[in-house]
Amino acid sequence: MNFETVVLGFFVILALALNLVFVVGDIDNPAQHNVWILTIAIFASLIAAGLKLGDRSQLGAILLAALLVANLLLIAARLVWIAEGDAGSAGLASEQMGLIVALAYGALAANLVTVLTLAADTLMSRR
Amino acid sequence: MTTTSNLSRVTSIVLRYMRGPILSLIAVYGVGVTGMSLMPGFDAQGNPASMNLFHSFYFFTYTATTTGFGEIPHHFSDQQRLWAILCLYMGVIAWLYAFGSIIQLIQNPHFITAVAERRFARTVKNLREPFVIICGFGDTGSLLARGLSDNLIRAVIIDSDAERIKALVMRDYRVDMPGLCGDASVPKHLIDAGIHQPGCRAVISLIPDEELVLKIAVMTRFLNPRVRIICRASDRQQQQHLRYLESVTVIDPFELFGAQLSMAITAPKLHNLTQWLVGDPSVSLDCPRIIPPGNWILCGYGRMGRWLQQHLNQHHISTSIIDPEQPESGDTGQLIRRDADHQALISAGIEGAVGLVAGTDNDSRNLQILLNAGALNPDVFRVARQNQHENEVVFRAAEVGLTMQPSLLAARTILLQLISPLAQQLLEQLRDTDSTLTDILVSRLRHTLGVHAPRLWVTRLSCEETPAVAEQIASGAKLRLQELLRDPANRDSNLCCAPLALCREQRPQMMPNTREVVQLGDEILFCGDQRSRLLLAASLHNSYTLHYLMTGVEPPRGMALLWVWKKLGLAAQHGKG
Repeated sequence: MNFETVVLGFFVILALALNLVFVVGDIDNPAQHNVWILTIAIFASLIAAGLKLGDRSQLGAILLAALLVANLLLIAARLVWIAEGDAGSAGLASEQMGLIVALAYGALAANLVTVLTLAADTLMSRR
Repeated sequence: MTTTSNLSRVTSIVLRYMRGPILSLIAVYGVGVTGMSLMPGFDAQGNPASMNLFHSFYFFTYTATTTGFGEIPHHFSDQQRLWAILCLYMGVIAWLYAFGSIIQLIQNPHFITAVAERRFARTVKNLREPFVIICGFGDTGSLLARGLSDNLIRAVIIDSDAERIKALVMRDYRVDMPGLCGDASVPKHLIDAGIHQPGCRAVISLIPDEELVLKIAVMTRFLNPRVRIICRASDRQQQQHLRYLESVTVIDPFELFGAQLSMAITAPKLHNLTQWLVGDPSVSLDCPRIIPPGNWILCGYGRMGRWLQQHLNQHHISTSIIDPEQPESGDTGQLIRRDADHQALISAGIEGAVGLVAGTDNDSRNLQILLNAGALNPDVFRVARQNQHENEVVFRAAEVGLTMQPSLLAARTILLQLISPLAQQLLEQLRDTDSTLTDILVSRLRHTLGVHAPRLWVTRLSCEETPAVAEQIASGAKLRLQELLRDPANRDSNLCCAPLALCREQRPQMMPNTREVVQLGDEILFCGDQRSRLLLAASLHNSYTLHYLMTGVEPPRGMALLWVWKKLGLAAQHGKG
């Protein structure tokens, strides 16, 4: 059992799971998507990327790249939410909600790549 | 550059050939187009008007190439039609002449050669990996190329026989091997083959004509003073000449044959090991053929027989010789001057002999001797010389004790030289010391490799080729040979791989102790299977893996976790969990 694999695996899989929790439901229905889940997913993903800083192996590089993509898309989604949510008290329009969830779907793809790479490496690994 | 470039040669041949057709085309076009514009005709309204120059050129173009769109832009006058007939015949004839010349040109053997040479020179110029130049692609050359391809070493091949070069393209080599049909002793061909290029490691000449071999060696020395030269030569005088040149290795196939055969008789274990190392698939490390001492019969006493007798006599093995053309000499042992037939074998004492060498330069005669000897004394150890590689199946069916093929021997010896001079030095040292060292090496190899087919390779420890090792050494760690040999999958077991020699500061050390601390600049000769070779190369590039191999500990790679890991003191207690 490897200390790093446990910690990193926890955060990476947590980010994927939260991301999935956020996107399920109708894509443009604001009532079915929770802003808290999105925020926590961003935190989990950020921590995972931070843990990978300093790894010089090829695998570390691809993991870091995928995590950065996920972060970028999730943060973009959160920024859209902030910008559009403030505009009126009526809450988000369905078009904006659609955009936010679509961005989160992109992050989900990046997170999937991360988890699969990590899992494949761990399974192929020596010990 | 003082050399004539192939590009300019090809261009000049094309220009010279096409001069006539191009001139005649221009003349015909000029006459046709001008005449068409001068012929009186009509415009769209039926008024008299001539065709303008562009329209005449357009008309002439489709007429001369027999496309024939018709009378464009208007109906022609009779004068124009008359001229059009003339245009058609002139144009078609000029074009036929031009096409004929082009076809003649691309069938011209000189042109084909020039294009092939140009393509070859360009392929060689684009080679980035190290390569060797093989001059002569006969039996030995093709066997050597096969061996090089198995070891992923590139070769550039020159042979004067066009058929051999054509056949080269058909072979399924694992690396690209460009071939040139030409005389290798022409300097231009050697230059085209890349003798000036930094990747050129060696020039190997395997041409039967030994005068040419010397010529190639001398020219190579002048063209590139640093490159290694390996020559096959059996003539004593030529060998002397060759040895005067610097860094030339001379391979005498007959001496090699004599030395190998006497080694097979006097030191079977070492012979077995050598054959196994060079990748003879029929040899296993476990059971060397033990040949009892006693009288040997040598059929055939040419250059090879002389070497063989010399080597055998050095080991105090008595010989009887059968050869129809054996000149009188002061050699000891029985001489029978006749063909090696039934009667000759009996008078040479085949009943009492332990071994027989069918060593003439004729394969069918050798097979016949083997048959006779087998009938007279079934227990005799029969050794056959196989001259032609294509007869391999027959010799295998003859079930002789040992088949030796001079071309294969030479090819394998050269291959070993090319992989590493260390391998040759190791075998020489084993030959010169007593057999206990061989026993140790054999048991070590059997233990580490088991039934796997061996591969030999050399690893140089340097900043470029093994960055992970350089990093560990720079950080002050002591890296031992045994740590490199551990399996990256499980540190407690080892790779199927053993170090055979270590060369440090030009001083080779055979069978190095695995506790030896390695340094940058070391050259290590390994023997192992293909998987180990790949895994070892990967560990030497990956400092995380190398660190694990050295310490058994795998610290986190990210900076944040590494800091936490150190704070928690996990480094100390790792290894237990």
